[in-house]
Amino acid sequence: MMTEEWRLLQTGFLSAAENMAIDRAVLVAHSKGYVPPTVRLYGWNPAAISIGYFQQLTEEVDLTACDEERIDYVRRITGGGAVFHEDEVTYSFVIQEQHPQISKNILESYKTICQAIMNGLDFLGVKSRYAPINDILVNNKKISGNAQTRKQKTVLQHGTILTDVDVDKMFRLLKVPNEKIKGKMIANVKERVTSLTHELGSDFSFEDVSNALKKGFEETFDVTFTDGMLTDEEKKLATSFQKSTFGSKKWNHQR
Amino acid sequence: MKMKSVYKVPGGKLIKIFLEYNLPMKTIKSIIIAGDFFAYPEESIQQLEQLLQGKPLDEKKLETMIKDFVKDNQVEFIGVSPTSITDAIMRCK
Repeated sequence: MMTEEWRLLQTGFLSAAENMAIDRAVLVAHSKGYVPPTVRLYGWNPAAISIGYFQQLTEEVDLTACDEERIDYVRRITGGGAVFHEDEVTYSFVIQEQHPQISKNILESYKTICQAIMNGLDFLGVKSRYAPINDILVNNKKISGNAQTRKQKTVLQHGTILTDVDVDKMFRLLKVPNEKIKGKMIANVKERVTSLTHELGSDFSFEDVSNALKKGFEETFDVTFTDGMLTDEEKKLATSFQKSTFGSKKWNHQR
Repeated sequence: MKMKSVYKVPGGKLIKIFLEYNLPMKTIKSIIIAGDFFAYPEESIQQLEQLLQGKPLDEKKLETMIKDFVKDNQVEFIGVSPTSITDAIMRCK
């Protein structure tokens, strides 16, 4: 059997609304068969908080602090929790649900896709393990969070690989249920979260991580990647989603 | 009357319920089921919130209603369940 050729997109550092709009645009384009299965690698500029589809924005995020520190915020189309995106490599993976390597079982497919991330980390010399439902751990500490949706018979999973982490900053931006135990929570998160810098020192680049992740997907799914660009159709879709959805107050403040 | 609960599902995710209670009727006036869980399709949560409007705040009835809704609409939850959502609703104060 011929090795399948998938598309690799490297879109650089973009705003929260642009990033979420592109993920959705690729989902739509692939569901219609316009583009092959796609792995996209990207970052966030400015740094941003994304919240899960079912969360309430003002319940999770201190919007005043975000404005003061020039931090973007956006609601994702995927469930899961609030994430502070600053020093990380973010991936998104789009593939039709009926693809033979994607399980109909959602939890199974989380595991398969997370395996690609873990294989990628392996290439960097970092041993990790999958912690259901949606985390990847190194030495029992979280290094990666992941979230999946399925729409139009297509799977979109996106997630983060922390390259560095500033827990104090994160807690200035996120709200906690109980201010009295905030100090304890911060100490607890510091103990439970790690990053590539923490594991490897600072002698690696964004490109090193991107390349490792690409190889992780190639190895896991036995495919090769062609470097691609967003098609004109995807760019149009992304611009439209950015305006109608991810850049709109109505979407971000809903619920 | 506005009520709220925050409930961590054992071995699962966090549910936050925002509920407006109709005290004289003992019914749910409106409800938002928020949290860091996963539900497929995502739109089902909004449908469930609409379904629960006007329904009595009664544990057994709610649990049956949510279970039936999940079954009828082929909803898949990850990190929460009909029982844990019911628990979270009943914890509102």
